[in-house]
Amino acid sequence: MTEPETGERYRYGVYGIAITSDTRLPLPEYAGGGFAQVECLTAPASVFLTATRDARFDSAPDSWYQYAVLQDGSTYVRWDSVGEFLVSANGRQLVCRRAEESSDESFQVYMLAQALSFALVTQGVEPLHATVVVVDGRAVAFLGGHSFGKSTLAACFLDGGYRQLTDDLLVVKTSCDGVVAYPGAPRIKLFSKVANRFTPYPMARVRMNGGTDKHIVPLEEQSSCAIPVKLEAIYSLAAPRDACRTTSASIEPLSRREAFLALVKGTFNRRVVSQERLARQFSAMAGLADLIPVKTLSYPRMLDRLPEVRDAVLADHAQRLD
Amino acid sequence: MAVAFGARVSVAPDVMFRLVGDEGVLVNLTTERYLGLNPVGARMWSVLSSASSIHAAYNQLLGEYEVGAVQLRTDVEEFIDQLLAQKLIQIDRQNTPPQA
Repeated sequence: MTEPETGERYRYGVYGIAITSDTRLPLPEYAGGGFAQVECLTAPASVFLTATRDARFDSAPDSWYQYAVLQDGSTYVRWDSVGEFLVSANGRQLVCRRAEESSDESFQVYMLAQALSFALVTQGVEPLHATVVVVDGRAVAFLGGHSFGKSTLAACFLDGGYRQLTDDLLVVKTSCDGVVAYPGAPRIKLFSKVANRFTPYPMARVRMNGGTDKHIVPLEEQSSCAIPVKLEAIYSLAAPRDACRTTSASIEPLSRREAFLALVKGTFNRRVVSQERLARQFSAMAGLADLIPVKTLSYPRMLDRLPEVRDAVLADHAQRLD
Repeated sequence: MAVAFGARVSVAPDVMFRLVGDEGVLVNLTTERYLGLNPVGARMWSVLSSASSIHAAYNQLLGEYEVGAVQLRTDVEEFIDQLLAQKLIQIDRQNTPPQA
């Protein structure tokens, strides 16, 4: 990969990893430690053109999403109208270019989640597609695919005075004390009607892009948690189409086998399927299924009913404490 | 099933198995497919993949479960067929001990 110009660097900590960047990012400052490191650097379009000259793309040329593994082992990924990224073969460097039509906020969401996930997976970190809130000092994760309602449910918890640990991308680490969930960026992505209903600061939000009504809502200090928290439970959200006939919130425990499959399905990055990655993912998710209760959470997708869903999760939490 | 009971089952290369509780999970790293096994399936996998022959595994399972011999034979055959179809096991005929 071509080295971008060097200059001033900022250091941050997110997802339990250390990030060095040549631009300011809306992240907590680095406070030491970190089980992986990623250097984020900006580069002009020419760097990406050169790098991808002979690339074989894994998607249609007119797709808004482009992905290719380059000959030097690095990964190229691009979202039209958002930006493009090069992840080095060792996962320690993320070279970025924001599309002119993208806002900084939207670009950074992709950089610090979708693009960063390639760097994480390359470095042996297995991210989950989950939004996490903190209840009584314990992390409670909502696992699910795109548009499953993870952030919407988390927003209802914010409305109830709870803190968010991370939105969309969850990194956990197993230690002798159990499984620890790490904080993400202090922001949440919400559709405008959800943000209007559950968050108190509508003026600060920024639209993700022209193709969606989703907004990026920065969280104030009292609404986000910036320290790692012990993970207590994972709720695998039923798909909205499967929940449409549901009349009330229901929570069902999964067997460890079912939990394992839900966790594998809930990976944040499905693109990297090397044997090394699959083997690591297999071990990591089987280990997690052994340690953490995973349950399905089905509920009607109606905003007015979400406080009931929150209460059901809180009651389940209280039952675990008894 | 075309496989002789005197043959031995071995786990296919690039297949990983792990017990989670009393159930089992598998991944075939070549086909990129994951699979879950219920407690009975997990036990059958463990016994089949470690026994000296399918027949030996069959005898062991016959002693563990309250099941008729004919029914168990059918279950074992169907299980092996499914595992073969998903490329999760191989049948080793070369080192097959004589059928008991």
